[in-house]
Amino acid sequence: MPEAFVPLTDFVNEAKSIPREHALDQPVAKWTEDELLGDELVEAGVAILRTRGCYWSIKEGCSMCGYFNDTVPGGVSDEMLRKQWEKIRPSLKGKRYAKIYTSGSFIDPTEVPLDFADAVMSDMKEMGIEKVLIESLPEFVNPKNFSYTNAPKLEIAIGLESSSSLVLDKCVNKRLRWPHFVKVCNSARNNGAELKAYILLKPPYLNEKDAIEDAVQSAIDAAPYVDKISINPVNVQKNTVVEKLWMRNEWTAPWLWSVVEVLDRCKDLPVRVYSDPTGGGTRRGAHNCHSCNKKVLEGLKNHRLGRGDLSSLMCECKSRWDVIKSQSSFRRNGSEPHGYRSGFSNGRRF
Amino acid sequence: MEPVGHEGLGRLLDLGENLRTPHIVFRKEDLTEATDLESGGSIVVGKPFDLPPKPLGLDSEKEPYLHLSENIAVLDNASSLKPQKIVEIASKIRKEAGYARLVYAPAVEPSEMPILAYLGVDIFDDLSVELRSSTGWLLEDGHWVKNQSNDDLTSINGEELKRWLSKIRSSISNGRLREFVERTSLHNPRVSQILHYSTKVLVEKGAKIHTPIRANALSLQNPSVIDFQERLSRFTPPVENMVLLVLPCSARKPYFKSSSHKRFFNAIREVDNYLSLHIVSVTSPLGLVPRELEFCYPAAHYDIAVTGVWSPTEVEMIRRQLSRIEPETHYSQAIVHAGSSSEIMTSLLKERGLDTIDTKAERPSSFEGLEVLQNVARMSLNGTKPVNSKQRAKGEAIGLANFQYSNSDFLTTSEISGRMPYKLRCGDLAAISPVVGGFGLTLNGGKAYASNGGATIKAENFKLVGDLFAVGVKGYEGDWQIGDQVVIEQNSEITAVGIAKMNPEEMVSMKRGIAVEVRHHA
Ligand code: SF4
Ligand SMILES: [Zn+2]
Repeated sequence: MPEAFVPLTDFVNEAKSIPREHALDQPVAKWTEDELLGDELVEAGVAILRTRGCYWSIKEGCSMCGYFNDTVPGGVSDEMLRKQWEKIRPSLKGKRYAKIYTSGSFIDPTEVPLDFADAVMSDMKEMGIEKVLIESLPEFVNPKNFSYTNAPKLEIAIGLESSSSLVLDKCVNKRLRWPHFVKVCNSARNNGAELKAYILLKPPYLNEKDAIEDAVQSAIDAAPYVDKISINPVNVQKNTVVEKLWMRNEWTAPWLWSVVEVLDRCKDLPVRVYSDPTGGGTRRGAHNCHSCNKKVLEGLKNHRLGRGDLSSLMCECKSRWDVIKSQSSFRRNGSEPHGYRSGFSNGRRF
Repeated sequence: MEPVGHEGLGRLLDLGENLRTPHIVFRKEDLTEATDLESGGSIVVGKPFDLPPKPLGLDSEKEPYLHLSENIAVLDNASSLKPQKIVEIASKIRKEAGYARLVYAPAVEPSEMPILAYLGVDIFDDLSVELRSSTGWLLEDGHWVKNQSNDDLTSINGEELKRWLSKIRSSISNGRLREFVERTSLHNPRVSQILHYSTKVLVEKGAKIHTPIRANALSLQNPSVIDFQERLSRFTPPVENMVLLVLPCSARKPYFKSSSHKRFFNAIREVDNYLSLHIVSVTSPLGLVPRELEFCYPAAHYDIAVTGVWSPTEVEMIRRQLSRIEPETHYSQAIVHAGSSSEIMTSLLKERGLDTIDTKAERPSSFEGLEVLQNVARMSLNGTKPVNSKQRAKGEAIGLANFQYSNSDFLTTSEISGRMPYKLRCGDLAAISPVVGGFGLTLNGGKAYASNGGATIKAENFKLVGDLFAVGVKGYEGDWQIGDQVVIEQNSEITAVGIAKMNPEEMVSMKRGIAVEVRHHA
């Protein structure tokens, strides 16, 4: 496999080896957000359980993923998981849609014990929750890992990232194989689950233009096998390869215009394709210029919730984005000079 | 592809059809996109060449640094790599890319092009300029100024960029690229850092061209200056226990030709045993220049505004140079007759524990000054062991030969005759040559040098008349820098000596251009 990745992960491994101090009886976070349940706008309850974390991250990890910062390398006992759940429960009261994340795979039984998962699912079902979203690597998407006694409708989100094996190998460092992805999607569907795919926009090393093409192609490829697609513009998380490249100025976070273009080119696909950019509007997340970041993010939110389309968004910086797209492939990496998005006007650094 | 000029690690290549490097390519005309992630697209430099694939998944700080296609070596991230890293890469460019590939650095700012050309980059593009043009900035002498009018900046900046590159090229052909780089570094911290870190590699690998240095504060870092200074530790005075005479430098070079130095000489030659006086001039940026080294580049090739005020850096430099010649072990005494530099020289010499007399003459070459000098010299030399001219000549030859060659026995075991400056000879092996800047080897000297492990170029068998062209070079032994003396061997016979005009590997891989400027044929 791509040996070239190893050198750059040296410093990531160093970061991973530093002990992290986390309260084990507390979830990483919990909040509520607007979401569509079918065609209905509802308020979803979201929580991130603190667990041992993703097994892949312990082995090597993906280039853009800093989730390990929130995990507990030695693992979290059942008892502590239950304590975390007690703290999450109240925020799910009255909700019809829940998203229960870990910083890994909810249905990896070595990360989240099956008994505990089963209890949590029953609990949610009894609370009246209709649908629950969990995330998993494809290798755990096996019916034996989610045949719960009593559970809401299950929606499994898989980080496909890209349908190109070259991008997965060289840019993302994820050992996912397309045929395997297709296989697990089909089997999960046959077992009553819904599927959601995450697709990256501008993984490290890709330039703006290649990144757009890769995301669009990946969405087209994934559409037949999933029920919705979330386009995730890569953001700069702590202690990641992405952060390293970003600090070296070899890669910059994608433009929001690129997100808009990908969504526009996916609008005729038979599944919902939307985006909720993490860290949007900041230097660490997808951004345009200072004058339009807010406006475009608002537009994306409306689009995500089915309240509007993106065609009316406009800003002076869009012509700059056109220029960078036309030359980005010749720059040979994902970089861009500081300040370009705001026209190198003084003071501000985007 | 014919190298027609070198400076630093950079080169001026003639690609035919009026095309010379360093060259600029324009995205719209010269670059073609890759069709997929695994290919690299192409670039037109006279004709189209494939580019190597993009460096997906690679760490830019790990070797190999360059990405190669058949004809192009891409130096990715040139605009973002740390200055030290850029310099490290520069020192390895030819090892990775060879000489036959063009080195292309994409997306570089115009202000960084001169230094990168100096470090070996052949091709640049207009990507940075395109971004600036599209946001209303005008390129002016390598800098960006905000433009208020509605001019067509793309074409205006494109033209300016072409002029900028042509300035880089003409700087190389005039031997003034370093000056150009120094100018661009003045208001650009990144360029000045890169320049700062590159001194060592330039001293070790850079082309030695004999352009006069128009010195400024940055010249203390000039590789020729540093090289001269470092070599001084190999220099020894002609005879032990002489009296050191420190004189001021002169505007005219070599110093001994200046009217002031002629007057100094006329004053001291009247003193008994004046051959026991050893003249060393004090100057910036070189520090100390013994008489024997006055022909050596850049001692005879620099201009500096003499203010009589020594900066702390310069004082430190002189102190370092003194530690390289260790005057306290080689001389019995010192006389300082250096005008405005006298005070500092006296204290630095005393600091080293050498018995030192300051003549205190404010105008050293005035009648009064010369009188004082003569008197002090007479006093100091009174009773010192006499030095005869044969002894002195031998010592001068050794001092100079050691400065030029780390192992100079092959020259100095011969019969030394004549005297500095013009008549000094090492038997029939070498004689002073202002063009070479020290001892110039004769054909016999070349033979001695070659059998002593000196740089030897093996050429095809043909009757060598005039210079040796790269196409005739088969191989080489030893190492050299452009500007060094080399020996040419044909069919196991030494057939010529001359000055290297290309780097070792370059001679072998180039098909055109002068490899050795021949000075003596068999
Ligand atoms: S992105 Fe997903 S699979 Fe990759 S390391 Fe992070 S949690 Fe694990
Ligand atoms: Zn904008």
